[in-house]
Amino acid sequence: MKGTNLFLKIFTILVFLFLYSPIIVMVVFSFNESKSIGVFTNFSLRWYEKVINNPEVWKALFNSFWVGAVVTIVSLILGLMMAMAVTRYNFSGKSILESLILIPVIIPEIAEALSLLIMYIFLNIPLGPVTVIIGHVAFCISYVTIVMRARMAGYDRSIEEAARTLGANEFQTFFKITLPTLYPAILAAGLLAFTLSFDDLIKTLFTTGPGFKTLPLVVWSSAARGGVSPELNSLSSFALSISFLFAVFRLRVERRLER
Amino acid sequence: MGFSDTLLKHIRRNVTVKVSLLLIPPLLFLAIWFYAPFFIVGLYSFDMINIQREIVFKPSLIHYLRVLSWTGAMKIFLRSLYFAGVTVILCLLIGYPVAYYISFKMKKYKDLFIVLFIIPFWVSFLLRTYAMMSILDERSFLNVLLTSLKLIDSPIRIMYTDTAVILVMVYDYLVMMVLPLYANLEKLDKTLLEAAYTLGASPVKTFLKITLPLSMPGIMAGFLLVFIPAVGEFVIPELVGGPNNYMVGNLIYEFFMGARHWWIGSALSMLFIVFILSLVITYVRKMGERGLAF
Repeated sequence: MKGTNLFLKIFTILVFLFLYSPIIVMVVFSFNESKSIGVFTNFSLRWYEKVINNPEVWKALFNSFWVGAVVTIVSLILGLMMAMAVTRYNFSGKSILESLILIPVIIPEIAEALSLLIMYIFLNIPLGPVTVIIGHVAFCISYVTIVMRARMAGYDRSIEEAARTLGANEFQTFFKITLPTLYPAILAAGLLAFTLSFDDLIKTLFTTGPGFKTLPLVVWSSAARGGVSPELNSLSSFALSISFLFAVFRLRVERRLER
Repeated sequence: MGFSDTLLKHIRRNVTVKVSLLLIPPLLFLAIWFYAPFFIVGLYSFDMINIQREIVFKPSLIHYLRVLSWTGAMKIFLRSLYFAGVTVILCLLIGYPVAYYISFKMKKYKDLFIVLFIIPFWVSFLLRTYAMMSILDERSFLNVLLTSLKLIDSPIRIMYTDTAVILVMVYDYLVMMVLPLYANLEKLDKTLLEAAYTLGASPVKTFLKITLPLSMPGIMAGFLLVFIPAVGEFVIPELVGGPNNYMVGNLIYEFFMGARHWWIGSALSMLFIVFILSLVITYVRKMGERGLAF
């Protein structure tokens, strides 16, 4: 028993080491003065200077943010409609509908992205930010619907009936009662949609037009072209700190919602 | 009192109208921007779109036959299955002890350790992959460290091999195995284990006869959550693999973007999608509807 416990403990520590060391090495070497990615010479911010002085990075960051915002709003509206229909009403073909919602989550993104590209080309739709946004929304709707449906499961509708009895019309009830009560569900789903869009690579890669790049695309093209470099280490660490801050924010919001 | 009022009243009363109003916008969006692309790919795969991009009603299986009779494609398909299979097994072998230790042996800091486990996965998939590249590289800190400690004679040349692809997949997808397993082990009734001990079962026997069978749903969910993205992986073989480590995703990409042979690419895509869907359907049949509500 004692031996097994010790083994499990050491094993778990090693797994945590395995999870953290690549990220730590990447961040540490982003502060390296020399061009080496294996020997740390001196602390320096020169690679960060290079990244910060690169207008392409700022433009991509800006693109990622506004694409993410538009994707979040559109998929929230569409996902909320779907989730409300599924949780509130019974209708024929509901189980088919539920599978139709799940499929975008299951299908490998590469097949999804290339198929969408083929259709864009087939229909002569010019590629650019709009085609990227459409591509993101197409899979975000499903995630939004799934998260909302889970959070709406225990929703008490008697409060809506009370509002209606007191004379509120359908729209007033929706905007004054339903929407505020669903706020936690909407926030959780919205944060997920934004993260999915912000981090997306494959869909963006195949549906973007010339010159329109998001942050993951900048990282990707430089990693695919030149492999590991100190400059890319610092760009990745910079991108990492954004995802990280965002995740902390998401966790705090979710914690507060659960209270 | 006019037409619009009557219409509103009708809408208010009629559930079917309400449901339709709620469902039409999102379903229309999905139909056009998610399902229609697959329909067009389907048309290509059956040779129903010609090179001038006109639809012709002469379906043919020629592209499917070409894909299925081509050993190169089959080899890559089998390689994808093999990579994904090894990844799942490694994730299970690595993830099970961790989930087990946190769930069964930790008392105070359970939640803290699960969060600590998840934190690396807050970093996006692409950045995690790049972080792995930064230690797998021949010139990396890890190689410098190991050579200077005289543990190895020369740097490990692991980039652009099968091992690199599998290692990075394990690193990227481990969380998908550990989380359902942990959730499952947490729900497991621990008094059953005590009963087994009281009745004289050894720890090993208790594990094999009680814990392991009861954690099967967690294992199966983890299997699906790791296997599906792994078998359809594109980014990892592209970044840390070479042409000899290509998977189905890369092959489809090559046909669409490299060779521009959309017909073969489409047939490959369709076969691949049918394979993934049948895998999921088998899983749902086995585990029931609840199997998908991880």
